Parts: sequence; C-alpha cells; structure tokens
Amino acid sequence: MIRVALPKGRNLEPALGALRAAGLGLAGYETGGRGLRTALPADEVELLSLKDWDLPLYVEHGVADCGIVGSDVLEEIGGDLLVPARLAAGRCRFALIGRSRELPAAGCQVRLATKYPATARRLVAGRSWGAEIVRLSGSVELAPALRLAELALDLVQTGRTLADNGLVEIEAVAEVAPCLVVNRASFQRHRCRINDWLDRLEAAGAVA
Amino acid sequence: MRVSTALPTGVAALLFESARARRQLEGRLTALVEGHGYAEAILPILDYLEPYESLLSPASRGELYRFIDRDGEQLALRADFTPMLARLLAPRLASLQLPLRLFYRGDVVRYSENRPGGRRELYQMGVELLGMGRPAASDAAEPVTAAAAMVATAAAAEREVLELFLAALTGGDGPRPSGGPRDGVGAADAVDAADAVDAADAADAPQVVLGLAGCLDSALAAAATATGLPVAELATAVARRERSVVRRAGGVLLAIVEAGVPAAPEELGAPAAARLRWLLALRDELAGRFPGVRLSVDLAEFARFSRHPDLVAEAGARSYYDGLVFQAYAGAAAVPVGAGGRYGSLFRALGADIDAVGFSLNLDGLLEAGQTAAAAPAVARRGTTAGSGGGPR
Repeated sequence: MIRVALPKGRNLEPALGALRAAGLGLAGYETGGRGLRTALPADEVELLSLKDWDLPLYVEHGVADCGIVGSDVLEEIGGDLLVPARLAAGRCRFALIGRSRELPAAGCQVRLATKYPATARRLVAGRSWGAEIVRLSGSVELAPALRLAELALDLVQTGRTLADNGLVEIEAVAEVAPCLVVNRASFQRHRCRINDWLDRLEAAGAVA
Repeated sequence: MRVSTALPTGVAALLFESARARRQLEGRLTALVEGHGYAEAILPILDYLEPYESLLSPASRGELYRFIDRDGEQLALRADFTPMLARLLAPRLASLQLPLRLFYRGDVVRYSENRPGGRRELYQMGVELLGMGRPAASDAAEPVTAAAAMVATAAAAEREVLELFLAALTGGDGPRPSGGPRDGVGAADAVDAADAVDAADAADAPQVVLGLAGCLDSALAAAATATGLPVAELATAVARRERSVVRRAGGVLLAIVEAGVPAAPEELGAPAAARLRWLLALRDELAGRFPGVRLSVDLAEFARFSRHPDLVAEAGARSYYDGLVFQAYAGAAAVPVGAGGRYGSLFRALGADIDAVGFSLNLDGLLEAGQTAAAAPAVARRGTTAGSGGGPR
C-alpha cells in the first residue's frame, strides 16, 4: 500500500490526471468528498487530501510516501524530497506584478507583497533595486492595486485577475509546475512501483 | 508562581521509560562494539572552532552553534564526533599502534530548520576504525603490490565496519572474529533464501542503502560537458531523481536514477566499475547474513558525495566521505537513523596518511522506529517533551 498525498485547490485536477495516466483507476475516489483519507484497495493506494503548504512536510516526514505539489511551494519551503517528475498539466508562472510595466529604478527601495517571502528574498537579492518584503496570506493582487505595496510576486495563469484589478504582469520570473515528490525512504521501499508510474507518465506525455 | 515546562525547539528531556529504553539500547550497543575490540573515547562537548575552519563545508558551518568565550576564543558546541576525533588523533598517530578501534557516545548539537522529526540535540553512538589501509613496509619497494595491499586492507576495513553497523541495527553478532571465514557466506550464516526475502520484505524492515563516494564523478563531468549544465546542478538532479533533467544527460546517469546502479558497472569507467562490482558482491553476501535488513546499492542517493571540486561544497554537512558510504532508514521517517563510510581524506587533510572508516547511530531515532532488538518492546514515549529524528553522523 502506497500512501499518496493529493493537494487541495488548483493542483488537484492535474494530480488526479497524473494518477490516472500512471495507471490508477481511482475507483472509489470522490472528487469534492469530505473524507480526508480514501483507501483504494484496487489500486493498492491510500489517498490523503492535504493543503498545498502542508503536503511537503507529510511526505518528508514519511506520513505520505509521495504526493503532488506545486513547485512554488517546494521552492518556498525547501526540504529533502525526491522530485522525479514535473507534470505537463497545470503549469503557470511566478510573475512580478504592478500598476505599471516599469520595474523600480536601480537603487530604489520598494515594498513587495507576496505569499512567498523566501522566494521573493532570493529574487530581490539579484536585483539592482531593493524591497521590503510584505508577507500576505491571500488576495496578493490587492496589495499593489490599493497601494499597500508597489509590487507583488504571485502566480499568474491567464492574467485575467490582473486585468480585472487594473494590474499588469511586469516580468515572468519562473515557470511553476505541479511536481511529483517522493519520500527518500519510500523510494527505496517502493522503487519498482514508483518507477512504473513514472514510465507510464512519460509514455502518456503527462510529464515534461 | 507558574513554572514553564517548555524546552527550546529540537531538544527533549527523556523521563521514566524513555530514559530507561535509551540506556538499555546504549548498553547493548556498548557491549556489541566492546566485544569486537573497540575502546571508548570520551570527547568534550565544547571545542575551539579554528582547527576546523578549513574542513567545514557551508552546510556544516551553518549547523554549528558557535560563540565567543570570555577570553575571546571562538568556540563551538560539538556537532560531529568524527572531525574532533580525527583532529586529536592525527598528530599522535606515529606513536600509536594501528589499527585503532574506537567508539564514542554522547550528544551532538546542530542547528536545523524547525521541521517535523528534526532534532537539534542528538544522542549518538559511533565507531571508528583507523589505520587499516597502510601498506606493509616490505611492500614499499614494489609500488604496484603496495597499492594492491592498500586497496585490500581498506576494503576489509569497510566490510568490518559495515558488518558491525548492520549488527548494531539488527541485534546481530557483527563481524566474525579475525581468522574466521570472510569470503562468501559461511555455513553458520547460511539462510534460506525465501526466508531472507520474507524477512526483508516486512514493511518495517530497516533499509540500508550503500554507495560509493566519488563513483559518479567521471559520469557527472562527462554529462556536464555534453549538456552544458553545471556539475553541481546535475548532481543535485541525480540525487533528487529529477528524470527530466537527467534525461538530457542520458545514458548511465538515467539508469542510476531509476535503478540505483548502471546496467553494467563498466559504464562508470574501469576504477569505479571494479569498486562497484565489489560493493554489489558485498551486498549479496551481507543480504544473506542479515536477512532482517533490506540492503540496496543506490549510487544516486550519494551523487553529491564527491571529491570533484565543484561538488565538495554541495555535499552537505558530512562531506568527508571518500569511499564506501551508507545510511539506514528505519520506520517511516526520511531522516536516516544511522550513517557512515570511509573518510581517509579527512585524516590526510590533517596531515596523517591513514585510512579510516566509521559510522554513527542516532539512538533516539532507532528507539522511535522500534527497529532494534534492544528497543523491543516498542518504547512508550511517556515523559518525552519533544519528538525524535534528526540526522546521523
């Protein structure tokens, strides 16, 4: 039995698609159900439903053998996990967002709002301008729109939310993808099955 | 007055059953290693920082608790026994009879991020076998013979320490006394193959992963040239099993990411292939002798353990390994409960031309996993105020 952690939110659909591409039937799994643990005896897996930000800890600590989580969360949290595949579906990008298309001038100090302070600090470290990082937990677009901060660092998929709030994407910083993460000890224990899943994912073109 | 019972992050007080269980395990392990001729070394928990400055990798520097003493000296709390023992012994080796078999026990204190299972104070027990790789004086006139003798004695030391590690993990007897059969499985150790598979297939069987530090250096360098990717980035991708990155390098590295070993050892070049064949044979032999352990060879796990100049800084806190390297997982946690390997380069960096092999075990991690004979029955954690885990060595 392999315990697989599934993310709630935007990465759930790509994650389910990947599990199907890996050969799991998922019979008995109910999307939107309230159960946090679902045993799927036919697939010999148990699914856990977890928040994105908690998922890497569950896998790193071995509570879940593997899981699917966005590379944005992995970059922010770090941790000692295997990352054997990045999914093709569900991709988006980290972007610097503001009210105008101009980046701050060299030597300027601005406020930068984000849910990803560690990632933002690394980004700003390589720039000619400085930033005070303002950590927010949601609705990051409001910060530059209402002038809490000059810039925001957030995920952008279609850009519609930005347009609706009078904001623009100044710079695409990095691509973000849902990633399959695996606990190191679990990989040793379930190597054959995990490799088989990976082979099937690659054959189906579900990873890139 | 209300008194707080809180402790700093990453430390624990062991009370009642937890304290008794640790002492029991410590007693059993002490008897095991003393029974194999290892003598105790008791080392201080406080040391100067300066002698280690040139030996510290960025990762090991980052985990040190260091401070300025009242007399202005920079001090650090002990974060690793091995470099301290090496520093103290290296200048004295000429007057000591080799090989030396030493063991130690005590706390190491390391800063780590606040993660589940991560401890900042770890109670370790470990052994070090020093000076088995020195060629006999009679071989000095024939360099080829001397080199072969050195390889053979170093391999014997690696085998002895690995066998003792497996015995400590499983409650077994450990290496045979010198003079006993060493090539192949002896009659007394013969284990029915089916039983061995069943025992090792148990979900909670400890897993010991074996590798060779530096074994992938040539393959990584060739792949870096072919792909234009930095060696460090490729090594990280191999260690994290990022198939899409490694696929660009193709060939042998992809096979290692998937299976742990190449399809044929020769793909790693002649010197590495000879070592890998030796390791695979040793794994097969020890799998028969220790049926309760899952033994595997996985070179990807140790891709960052290297003598390549671009990788030494990436190798993590214990970057001194230069030969056999191994680590053990027990229970579900991804944090190893024990690790070790060959580290003669550490002594050579300190001016002593000898080989050395050792390992350490995280006793609380072992108890929490309930994997050792002495740990059974499962230890009640009553009275423990912080979780266990943390890295070995």
